[in-house]
Amino acid sequence: MGRLLAVGVLGACLAAPLSADAQTGSITGTVTTKAAAPRPLRVTIDQRICGDELPDESIVVGAGGALAHAVVTLTGIKAGAAGAAPVVMNEKCRFVPRVQVVRPNVEMTTSSRDPVLHTTQAQLLDGSTLFNVALPIPGITIRRPVGSARVVRLGCNTHPWMRGWMIVTDEVAAVTGADGRFTLAGVPPGTYELRVWHETLQGAPQKVTVAAGTTAQAAFVLQ
Amino acid sequence: MLPTLVLLAGVMSGAVQPQPAVPSTIPEMWDAWCARCHAPDGSGRVAEPTISVEPMDFTDCAVATPEPDADWEIAIAAGGPAVGLSAEMPAFGDALTTEQIRGFVRHIRGMCRESGWPLGNLNFPLPIFTEKAYPENEFVLKPRLSRRDGRSDLEFVSVYERRLGRRGMWEVAVPLASHAADDGGARAHGLGDVDIAVKYVLAAGAEGAGILSGGLEVALPTGRDSRGLGHGTAVFEPYLAAGTMIGDVYVQAQLKGELSADRAKAARAVVYNMYLGRDTAVTPDTWTIGIELNGENRELAVTPQIRKGLTRTGALGAAFGVRIPLNRREEQGTRWVGYLLWEYLEPVLPRR
Repeated sequence: MGRLLAVGVLGACLAAPLSADAQTGSITGTVTTKAAAPRPLRVTIDQRICGDELPDESIVVGAGGALAHAVVTLTGIKAGAAGAAPVVMNEKCRFVPRVQVVRPNVEMTTSSRDPVLHTTQAQLLDGSTLFNVALPIPGITIRRPVGSARVVRLGCNTHPWMRGWMIVTDEVAAVTGADGRFTLAGVPPGTYELRVWHETLQGAPQKVTVAAGTTAQAAFVLQ
Repeated sequence: MLPTLVLLAGVMSGAVQPQPAVPSTIPEMWDAWCARCHAPDGSGRVAEPTISVEPMDFTDCAVATPEPDADWEIAIAAGGPAVGLSAEMPAFGDALTTEQIRGFVRHIRGMCRESGWPLGNLNFPLPIFTEKAYPENEFVLKPRLSRRDGRSDLEFVSVYERRLGRRGMWEVAVPLASHAADDGGARAHGLGDVDIAVKYVLAAGAEGAGILSGGLEVALPTGRDSRGLGHGTAVFEPYLAAGTMIGDVYVQAQLKGELSADRAKAARAVVYNMYLGRDTAVTPDTWTIGIELNGENRELAVTPQIRKGLTRTGALGAAFGVRIPLNRREEQGTRWVGYLLWEYLEPVLPRR
């Protein structure tokens, strides 16, 4: 319904990719949660490289419940030109970044800084595998296509705790930082549906109205 | 196919191990990268598995020897799904050279400590008539339709093959037939002569140069000869079967005698078959185009044929061909022949 409403309000504006100018506004806000951060993971493999314990990044909560690694998407609005090609680094037995927004039909790069074998297995949520590549040597760089819009989960077959996410979308989207904040700039005036994704928590979509030259506010509370 | 080749990944165990900066030899790479999942000895038995599927046991020679090097190389370079195996086996093709990948295949082959197992490089595609020299665990359905003198005969043979030890194999073949009567009467339907057989690999080249096997088939008089369904006497059929590769071409041949217990009921014969074939790709689901020269005493025929692997695991295959007489056309007739093959110890569907 929200998507239909947005289409009705914006009309032909939706056909053009989003770009920032004086005729646009922006949306900023926060994503918070009352969920507690999980306890650190105890590492039992490759401690020389990975350390004895690692933070469980499935929920990263900051001051005031600020939630990192949430993705806020502006439904129905195409993003502008693609930026830099997405990169996932295997570093100290973590995927860095853990969560990123990726445009459809681009190639992602996976690389490693660890002197230990990592693999990057990219899977869809139905469990099917897009690709699985081995990174046995530090500095190796491997490129693979990410395909169409969808959520892609990254895992490492030798370090089961490693998790990464690529939100493949051609819509305007942003990932929250450690402060739980996000900003979507260059939004044409109109009423939109904002939806939020997080790997373990959930939140309801919200309506937001944007006027030219203004910044609309939104706040999500996930549980 | 490789049953459960899983992740070529990992270090030697879950314990803390000093790790070389960059392993440089295949054994070092195995220990540093592969042994996490496959274990240092290749058994796949690890104390702390990090994957969900159970790796195959490379120390089991019955598992480690039957597949050709090409299948292993594909699995290592392109990952398990390329040959229908687990997606938890990653692709190493971006990280290793072709020579390193071949080195891993040799390393894995060496985990089978028993001598005498013929390598899978000698496991050539099954021709329609020529007996394979390589022993198999297969179930094969062979439909055959003959047109002779304006009459049609249909035969449907079910063959079960099972390996015995390192080099042996036994099989049983049960034919069901529908034959036109010679006198123009009613068609005869029913069981034909059941074959039982054994086969043994007499010689196999260590590097896949060639293979020679000997075998004996015995056709039991289970089909009613009065209705044209059998010979009415036992027929003993000793044979030699051989195979090699010349460049990219498979060459397989068979020479067989058919020695009936009662020559009044079944004439003795010499049967000879030769097959030439070539794959169109290196994957298990490739098309293979081939032709056979088929002879029985003075009758000669050719059988152009095509074979297709039906799954990426190579567990299913099918072939179709037409046996065309080169002489004595009326006696031989034309036969439409084929088979559906199931390697019943292999997974049919690709793993995730």
